[in-house]
Formats: sequence, C-alpha cells, structure tokens
Amino acid sequence: MTNMIKRVGVVTGRVLNQLRRDHRFVGISLVFPLVIIYFIKVVFDALASPSFNISVYVVPYAAFIIHFITFILTAIVLVRERTAGTLARMFVSGYNPIEIVSGYLLAYTVLATVQSLLILIELNWIFELGYDLGQLASIYLVMWVLAIVSMAIGMLVSNFARNEGQVFPFIPLVLLSVILSGIILPIERLPEWVQALSFLTPLYYVNEVIQKLIIGDGLFDDWPKLIGLLAYGLIIVSTATLSLRESD
Amino acid sequence: MKQTTAVHIQKLDKNFGEVKALKSVSLKIETGQIFGLLGANGAGKTTLIRLLIGSTKPSSGHLTVSGFDPTKGKRAIRKLIGYMPQSPALYEDLTPRENIHFFCQAHRIENISQRVDDVIAFVGLSERAHDPVYKFSGGMKQRVSLACALVHQPKMLLLDEPTSGIDPKLREAFWEHFRELTSKGVTIIVSTHQMNEAMYCDRLAILHQGVLLANDTPRQLLWNNRSRIKIWRGEQVTEKDLINYPEQLPGELQSYGLDSSVSRIEIEEDTLETVVLRMINEQEAGYLKEAKDDQYD
Repeated sequence: MTNMIKRVGVVTGRVLNQLRRDHRFVGISLVFPLVIIYFIKVVFDALASPSFNISVYVVPYAAFIIHFITFILTAIVLVRERTAGTLARMFVSGYNPIEIVSGYLLAYTVLATVQSLLILIELNWIFELGYDLGQLASIYLVMWVLAIVSMAIGMLVSNFARNEGQVFPFIPLVLLSVILSGIILPIERLPEWVQALSFLTPLYYVNEVIQKLIIGDGLFDDWPKLIGLLAYGLIIVSTATLSLRESD
Repeated sequence: MKQTTAVHIQKLDKNFGEVKALKSVSLKIETGQIFGLLGANGAGKTTLIRLLIGSTKPSSGHLTVSGFDPTKGKRAIRKLIGYMPQSPALYEDLTPRENIHFFCQAHRIENISQRVDDVIAFVGLSERAHDPVYKFSGGMKQRVSLACALVHQPKMLLLDEPTSGIDPKLREAFWEHFRELTSKGVTIIVSTHQMNEAMYCDRLAILHQGVLLANDTPRQLLWNNRSRIKIWRGEQVTEKDLINYPEQLPGELQSYGLDSSVSRIEIEEDTLETVVLRMINEQEAGYLKEAKDDQYD
C-alpha cells in the first residue's frame, strides 16, 4: 500500500512537472473559460432586461464550460500518452492502472482548483452576482467536483480512442448533456424518457445543486443530488481505471 | 556457466482479427545470449516482443519468460525485464534525467540518483541531461530510451530496433555494451531488420509474415546455405557451389592435392541478406504452390 501511494505521488509529480512546462495547455485550460464567460456576459447584456435573473443561467453555463474544456483536454492528453507509447512504457515499468489514473487525477485536480477559482472570481465580478461567502464557497466546491468528474470522463473516453481524432465523436455526447441537464430548459418539460436520461450526465446533478444554492439553500439541503454527483464521479473513476488498457 | 532457458515458446499463434501476426512459432532462448529477431516490417518481431512482456495475450500456444507465464505472472516478469520500444516513448517536455528517473521510480531500487547519472553517462548524454527531450535528434531520443530500459539493471532486455536512427560509432558502442551485459548473465532479445547488426547476435530467429523460417547462429545460417568455391590453375577457373563449406571444403580440395599449379582459391560466401531473401522467396513460393494445389483439389 505504501509503495502504491508512493508511486501515485511519482506519477502526480511527473504530470505536474509537465504541466509546469506546457504553458500552452495551462493557458488554454485557464484562459479559454474566462474568455468564453466574458462573451456570455456580452450576449446577456445585449439580450436581457434589467429585471432578468441571469444568475440562474450564468452559473450553470460556467459549470458547462468547465465540464467541456476539462473533458476534452484531459481526453486528448491521455490519448497522446497512448499514441506516444509512454503509457505502455509506464505499464512495463511496473505502474498499474490505479496508480496511473490516481496520479493523473491528483495532478489535474491542482489545475482544476485554480481553474474553478478563477472562473468564480470572474463570474462574481462581471455579473455582480452579490452572493455571500458561504454561497460562493459552496458553488466553488460543486464546480471543483465537476472539474474532477469531467477529467475522469475524459480519461474514460481516452481509453476507447486510438488517436486524438477519435476523441471528437464523443463531443456531441457532451453537448447533448446540456439539453439533458436542465440548464437550457427545465427537464420537467421534457418527455419522461428524456428525463430518465438526465441521470447519465453530471451536469444534471450540478445544475440541480447550483439552482438550490442560488436561491439561498445550503449545500446539503438537496443532499441526494450532491451524493448523486459524488457517486457519479466514483463510478466514472472506477470505470476509467478498470478499462485502462495497456495495449489495443 | 550452466545455460538455462530464459524464454521458452511453444506453438505460439497471435491473431489480430483476420490477420495472423504469428503462426505456430516455437523457440528457446538461453540465458546470457544476444538473441536477434530478424525480419522485414510486418514479420511479427514487435508482436513477439509484446507477447514476451505481457502487453498482449497469445491466441494459442504457450510461452514462459524466466519461468513465468507473461499473461499470469506479468508483475514478476516486469521486475526482471527492461523494455525499449520501437518509438522513443518519452515525455518530450521533460529532460532525459527526469524521464529516466520517472520510469526508474516504479522499481524499488536504492541510490536512484547515482544509477540515473551512470546510465546517462553511458549513453553519452551527461552534457544534455538537463535539456528537454523535444530539442533532441531522433538518435539522441533513442539513447534516452535505451537508458530508461537499462537503469534498473534488468536480467533481461527486450529491445525493439534499438539502433535505428543512430550513428555507426554509437551503434558500435551499444553493441559493445550489450556484449558486456551478456557476460554478466543478462539475456538480450533484440529485433532488427539490419543484416550487419544481426551478425552481432549469438543466435538469430528469422521471421517472415509471422512464420519462423530459421533459428540458428548467424555463422551456421551462412554455412547452411550456398558458398561458391573458385579454384584457379593458371588461367583455368573451376567453380563449384558448396553447402556447409567448412565441412565440405577439405574433401573438395583433396582431388587437387594442393599441387603447385593451384595459384589461387576464393570462397564466395552468401551474405546474410542473400540467405534471408532466399528463405523468404522459398517460403512465398511454397505458399503459392499450396494455394495453387488447393485451387485444383
């Protein structure tokens, strides 16, 4: 067990070391969401009337942006590891799937922590949300968990792609999750069979929890949804670990 | 030193869908040998290496590496082996030192830093140890990749075309080091399609389209094939083809009694390339004949 923890630490250290030097990747991960959120602000300013409650939309939209960018970047990085042969070399050197997935998750969690924080600061600033510290901390926590779950989804998808190009067919599924999550339209208005599919997207749980937080409820008031998000994450991480193949 | 079997392969098949990558391959590799896998691209060399390291499972047949079945004893085997894949398989943002250190840390070994420094010095990259790998040429990346495979001092090295893209001087140094390692009991399995390199091996397995065509020492492979003897008596030249000339030559020369009129004797040996190409052609001709016979049956 001690050796496993040590090796997870080694993988985390190596990924962080790479991130430290990959300015382009870190830049895209941190700056792109901020730019997109700024453009959402521009669009809302043009469309909405002063009485329109934009926070109901912008916070879940920001969550979706985190979800999408984190998913796609993680998937591509992991596929690159496979095509370069370094993943196979890790296996032959003695690292196992639990160590590899955990190492990556921990390293990217550092990035997700900064990413979620910057996004929340920008949201609060440009949309003048006026939330209290408790609300902001709770929203931050939910976005942070979502970023980690999105990474795990990226890892899972990368296990089924032989090259970077094969990641792209999965993008429509992520876009579909916006419709299924209730971010655009309350899911109660959708047919029942579509509502049943909502449980398959992490954005559904995130949106449900965020909507409660926006109206002033506590983080644990809708605890089943929060547990749902955590369970979803756990299932995805486990599946990503079990399906991490050494070779085709 | 008593020789033991490092690798034992019996009737090994590997299929990728409809493609038969290996067809009933059987061979033994003794400990402390440099064993070459020789063949063109698509011969099955890389597949065989991947089966030996447990990266892929055989479709049928049996194999053991140091007594372990790679599909069941993967963990045990991986402590014993060093693997150098065909592509460099390195983290390009990192330095050679960081790459080697990372792959080394999966093994429980002491004094890692010293070991990493030593192996970097061996591959001649001490001065570039702190430069990122993406700045390196193909040959330099191969050197880093070899260092990653060597650093934990494995009992068996599996090298997939290790010297492709490196200069002749360094290639010579690599082979000298391989020889040094085998003298310490390390078994080296090396795939190559370069004939001049194959001559460095203790034994060679020639593969073509997944079929093992031959398994012998390079010298014996040459001797088992045709050599041409030319004998000059004044202006008159006699030519004759011999198989296994070291054994046939004395008898052939007896009739001459080596009289003073024999002014010159030349033996033209087939090159390994010619031998291999002939084997491939014969195998392909055999397949064609089989296919034709099947058609008329």
